[in-house]
Amino acid sequence: MDFDLENPLGNFHDLPCDAVPSLFLIESDHIPPPNYCQSLKASDFDISVRRDVVSLISQLSCTFDPVLPYLAINYLDRFLANQGILQPKPWANKLLAVSCFSLAAKMLKTEYSATDVQVLMNHGDGGAIFETQTIQRMEGIVLGALQWRMRSITPFSFIPFFVNLFRLKDPALRQVLKDRASEIILKSQREIKVLEFKPSTVAASALLYASHELFPFQYPCFLRAISDCSYINKETVVQCYNVIQDIAREEYESVLNINSTSDTPVNVLDEHFLSLESEKTNGTNVVVTQEQDFKRRKTTDYGNNRRVPFSHFHQC
Amino acid sequence: MEMEKTGAGVAVLSAKEAFEKLEKVGEGTYGKVYRAREKATGKIVALKKTRLHEDQEGVPPTTLREVSILRMLSRDPHVVRLMDVKQGQNKEGKTVLYLVFEYMDTDLKKFIRSFRQTGQSIPPQTIKSLMYQLCKGIAFCHGHGILHRDLKPHNLLMDRKTMMLKIADLGLARAFTVPIKKYTHEILTLWYRAPEVLLGATHYSMAVDIWSVGCIFAELVTKQALFAGDSELQQLLHIFRLLGTPNEEVWPGVSKLKDWHEYPQWNPKSLSTAVPGLDELGLDLLSQMLEYEPSKRISAKKAMEHAYFNDLDKGHL
Repeated sequence: MDFDLENPLGNFHDLPCDAVPSLFLIESDHIPPPNYCQSLKASDFDISVRRDVVSLISQLSCTFDPVLPYLAINYLDRFLANQGILQPKPWANKLLAVSCFSLAAKMLKTEYSATDVQVLMNHGDGGAIFETQTIQRMEGIVLGALQWRMRSITPFSFIPFFVNLFRLKDPALRQVLKDRASEIILKSQREIKVLEFKPSTVAASALLYASHELFPFQYPCFLRAISDCSYINKETVVQCYNVIQDIAREEYESVLNINSTSDTPVNVLDEHFLSLESEKTNGTNVVVTQEQDFKRRKTTDYGNNRRVPFSHFHQC
Repeated sequence: MEMEKTGAGVAVLSAKEAFEKLEKVGEGTYGKVYRAREKATGKIVALKKTRLHEDQEGVPPTTLREVSILRMLSRDPHVVRLMDVKQGQNKEGKTVLYLVFEYMDTDLKKFIRSFRQTGQSIPPQTIKSLMYQLCKGIAFCHGHGILHRDLKPHNLLMDRKTMMLKIADLGLARAFTVPIKKYTHEILTLWYRAPEVLLGATHYSMAVDIWSVGCIFAELVTKQALFAGDSELQQLLHIFRLLGTPNEEVWPGVSKLKDWHEYPQWNPKSLSTAVPGLDELGLDLLSQMLEYEPSKRISAKKAMEHAYFNDLDKGHL
């Protein structure tokens, strides 16, 4: 049996066209139930517990492919949805983080150093050292709660499909777009607001956001390609796009603070997205077109400035 | 204590307590297969037991990946259902994993053999129904990006009463296949193998399963394997004798495959000579399943839409 967990639609051209709907049909089985989001929101404590464990998983995973932490956090959310929030013991949070990380690493066949894990987990809390057997028992508990359904369909599963719709011919440009979208997907998972959206919606929104940053002049074509995709609900993508934009703005603002740069260009993104919608509704007119040319230029300039400090900031 | 408290939410009987083993029905590389009864419900299941090679890693990655795949695929009625997974310990304190499958009382190999022994043909509508179910199950697997790669009558399970067919031996479950005894003359896995695999193609596509489906289709009609080679070379020669020796014209790229050689040049014969008793529509579908060029082979989903199945009552399938 051949199986590529990370890239089930990767050989899109080899797949019969009718195979694509399957992932869209079953993706909802791989996210926490809707009431999980609501129950988290209802409790500041629960949100803080989740945030702590997410942070621990991120520390464990910072040198790995973004699919790994994403998968581990997916297990965490599905486990919490099934079991409820754990009692407030730091060591229990750490054990859960390690177990979800370990299971995700196994699913992705990723090698990691158990020693490094122990060192990271002991930092700041001298007492907790997990024996291998303890981690294995916790893994067993997580597996049971998730009923061994460990193949989660993540937004990463849909990226190649949508990128193919964009018809970018240069492989290097496609890779840049994929990488940026992957960063956005991983960051957005930390916010519970994004948990309400299906993985395909998150993927589409992240790619649109990344394409707007990186290829602003081609953005309208990409938007049209996504809108024309029959597996996607366009209104939901707009909502998710806005959530992602808010998250990305927070990211930019923290970077901008370091660099003391005006935050005006961030606001341009809002207007730009909306003005495109407006243009579609009202039809093309000369004034709007001219205005957009001007705005795109500003955006491009801003994007160029943003690259260097962002890369520096993001070193693990 | 917190661990126990957390674990309380996952109240699970151990496999030994939950099931009564009735008989051993198979044994494979990794463990034993039992027919068993679930005590709580009285339901008969196939219990497949495997010992994990733990060392430091707990559940091995391969096991975890493959059980996850089986859990995902089990939602289709034409894939054998993995009902549950239970961890337990054996007498030596080692962790064992029990895969609990729905029990099916026969397989397609036995089914075909029973007709061969009585000299009767399998009724055409039965063949059509079984083929439709097979295409449907394979379409489901392919729709999830899963190739089977070892389709053969032995791992297509059947319920004699309902004539339901289910695909088995995906991944880890395959490890439980009864091993081929050394004295048998059958080389089962070769008979259903696609020519591109035999010629050393490294990139498999879903078409390899469709080729196997085609071979099984022919075997349902004639009750004999369509291409019964006893070595890879003989397997290829069997194929070439019927379908003609492929060349760059009918199969672009074939001569560049790793294991390509010069072969005797045969012209293609009509499929009806090898599969007498199959009607025109069936022969057309079969020919599309046995296309040399993998990308031109019909997909499982398209096969389900073929006119051969038009008069089949699909309501209960």
